Amino acid sequence: MNPRSAATLAAMLLAAAAATACTSVEPWQRDLHAREDMRPNERDAAVDDHIYFSKEASSGGRGFAGGGCGCN
Amino acid sequence: MQLKKPIGVSLAVATAGLLGSLPTAPAAAEEAKDWEMDSTLLFYGEDGDRVKDASLMTSIRRALDEDRSFSLSLTVDALTGATPSGAVPANGVQTFTSPSGRASYDIAAGETPLDDNFLDTRVALAGNWQQSLGEAMRLNAGLSASHEYDYLHLGANVRLERDFNQRNTTLFAGAALAQDTMDPVGGVPLPLSPMQAAIPGNGGGGGYLKAGGSSESKDVYDLLIGVTQVLSRRSLLEVAYSYSQVDGYQNDPYKILSVVDPATGAPVAGPPGSGLNLYLYESRPDSRTKQSVFAEWRYAFDRDSFALSARYMTDDWGIDSQTVDARYRWNISESSYLEPHLRWYTQGAADFYRTVLFNGDPLPQHASADYRLADSDAYTVGFKYGHRTARGEFSVRLEYYHQQGDPSPGAAVGDLAGFELVPPLDAVIAQFGYKFRF
Repeated sequence: MNPRSAATLAAMLLAAAAATACTSVEPWQRDLHAREDMRPNERDAAVDDHIYFSKEASSGGRGFAGGGCGCN
Repeated sequence: MQLKKPIGVSLAVATAGLLGSLPTAPAAAEEAKDWEMDSTLLFYGEDGDRVKDASLMTSIRRALDEDRSFSLSLTVDALTGATPSGAVPANGVQTFTSPSGRASYDIAAGETPLDDNFLDTRVALAGNWQQSLGEAMRLNAGLSASHEYDYLHLGANVRLERDFNQRNTTLFAGAALAQDTMDPVGGVPLPLSPMQAAIPGNGGGGGYLKAGGSSESKDVYDLLIGVTQVLSRRSLLEVAYSYSQVDGYQNDPYKILSVVDPATGAPVAGPPGSGLNLYLYESRPDSRTKQSVFAEWRYAFDRDSFALSARYMTDDWGIDSQTVDARYRWNISESSYLEPHLRWYTQGAADFYRTVLFNGDPLPQHASADYRLADSDAYTVGFKYGHRTARGEFSVRLEYYHQQGDPSPGAAVGDLAGFELVPPLDAVIAQFGYKFRF
């Protein structure tokens, strides 16, 4: 896939997500979403990024591609 | 019937949940404990003599009030072990010059050349400020710096989030800038120049023909936009697109390529009188544009939860990659959980990835034998166990990582057909965490 089609894919996914914006879950129905395990674990994500950044050619995705090390 | 729950409590926890990945100010249900400390000890160990990393990450967060908080984090890494230099095995002993240019080391016949002069300590600091901007908007801004013996990183980032649609939809956008400076041991090698014989002593510094200066730098620009959408009472979807531009020096100054005979696959002689075979320092383009699309779906069961994410990345070095990551959170009891984790990753090779260069062929403009740029597949399998007590939450995570790469097409000529040209990587990851509020 070339960079232009990646951007197109991104736009389509964003549009699909936005199209579901008509969904309305009322605040008092969000007890499950409020659970701590329904949120990403930032520390585990940071550890994973740290490891895979230095072993693979890809990084980021959820957050910034980052870097900041001369990792081998 | 949801209304069986006291609405005030539900609202408080729901509001906390809605803030998503941004750290929340203590919710009403949490009595005023303004400080949170989160520490992680990580051991990463590759098989055999390869890389080992012991890392301590600790962060402290202070909520100033319901709308503002700041955090500081410190990471210290101690790295040892050997890493593949990029050269391929041969039928005879191979001699290499160490990065300092003052010593040499031998690799036995048939063995993967590993550079064991790899010893480093990395210290990283980061500070972040989070603040609400009115009812529906949040700002997160941060600075980061890290230092290694031969590497300095400085960075800044900012991220804005805004809620819409009764907080069922959150849009976010961010930008990050970084400047990294490298001072390779002994100087910067001239790309595609041959490895030279070592010159011992403090006044030494053979090893390679030097490029202009003793240090090089690169600038990294990142942009991120995305949306988090509540799909139902039980599920949500996050989609993000990121764009990253890296300008400047992107070679690994310690990586080399073997130049071999195109028929026999045997090494050819290096610079006259050096006693070395011919090894060239790698050369990568000085610009790289990466784009990625990330999507994560989270689903809450009554007791457990499940998260599935996928990432597609493409760049103008010719690398495409796909990642799929799945976690099932089994909430065994109120106070403990077990979380199995599976990750699968595949990437195509960079256009300029070459396992070897052939003697007599015209020299390409760019070439690297770094296994991280090869066509490869990897998987991670593991689990995490966590336990909450009155004094905080303890966790342990154990994972196994396996990566297998393929040589560039046509590389396995003659003798090379019998060798492992891209060494597989097996690593164990052990992570211990302790988090508490005070």
